[in-house]
Amino acid sequence: MPFKRYVEIGRVALVNYGKDYGKLVVIVDLIDQNRALVDAPDMVRGQMNFKRLSLTDIKIDIPRIPKKKSLVAAMEAADVKNKWENSSWGRKLIVQKRRASLNDFDRFKVMLAKIKRGGAIRQELAQLRKQAAAA
Amino acid sequence: MKTILASQTMDVPDGVKIKVKAKMIEVEGPRGKLIRNFKHLNLDFQLIEGGKKLKVEAWFGSRKTMAAIRTAISHVQNLITGVTKGYRYKMRFVYAHFPINASITNGNKSIEIRNFLGEKKVRKVDMLDGVCIVRSEKVKDELILDGNDVELVSRSAALINQKCHVKNKDIRKFLDGIYVSERGTMAEEE
Repeated sequence: MPFKRYVEIGRVALVNYGKDYGKLVVIVDLIDQNRALVDAPDMVRGQMNFKRLSLTDIKIDIPRIPKKKSLVAAMEAADVKNKWENSSWGRKLIVQKRRASLNDFDRFKVMLAKIKRGGAIRQELAQLRKQAAAA
Repeated sequence: MKTILASQTMDVPDGVKIKVKAKMIEVEGPRGKLIRNFKHLNLDFQLIEGGKKLKVEAWFGSRKTMAAIRTAISHVQNLITGVTKGYRYKMRFVYAHFPINASITNGNKSIEIRNFLGEKKVRKVDMLDGVCIVRSEKVKDELILDGNDVELVSRSAALINQKCHVKNKDIRKFLDGIYVSERGTMAEEE
């Protein structure tokens, strides 16, 4: 019930609004009550309002405002990319992105695959019903 | 200005079990169980150290919400003493000429007051849930109200007091009434 994800130096957050939407960033310093200095390997270090950030469970060990090289090294050491892609939140985002980037042919293939899967489930259910009725 | 975090901790004595769920605090002890609803406050309640301590936190609170932290803790402390020691409020009859005639009815749950200031009107007061009223044997003209919840016991005492207000007279001279003489716990008597 109490809060588990705290805003602290080293907290990894997801940008949920604005130019860097969808990027994983690391909080490297706090500017004031509402804004943080935020950094990522592929962007220029800059300020961001907390309202644009969604905190994740991942935290890395860095001193205040590290140089880009040491930030990248710390992210590698903590294996942020893999931890994110294996977390349920990260996996959901990857699936959403994939679905959004489908072309018409891909959607057709997905439709066929769904029908096939539904058919297999219905067959299995019929088997189980028969067994339950016999027993 | 908003203070980022303000918190206070209180100890839970042995023999008392506290359950916290969704700002409803449930306190259980030798004398029974009391529940109090703190949903009107913007505070976080959590039990730490396996139920030995209760921590109350206010995130980004104004001055007023920070003041509410300690009052919430005081309320919980009252629940705890209610459930371990119980509350006993004593009231005395005060009269100059007309003796106040009180009879306890309904199995210690209500009181009837007659002859207050010589009036014919009979005043009947029902005690609230869980409050017992008894006429003291040893002391003349005394009532004893017992209960677990301090809010209910003190409110019952107030109801009795307010039923016996003097009307249309100088209240500095007509001092009759039933007044709370002592607020304490039940445990000391034993």
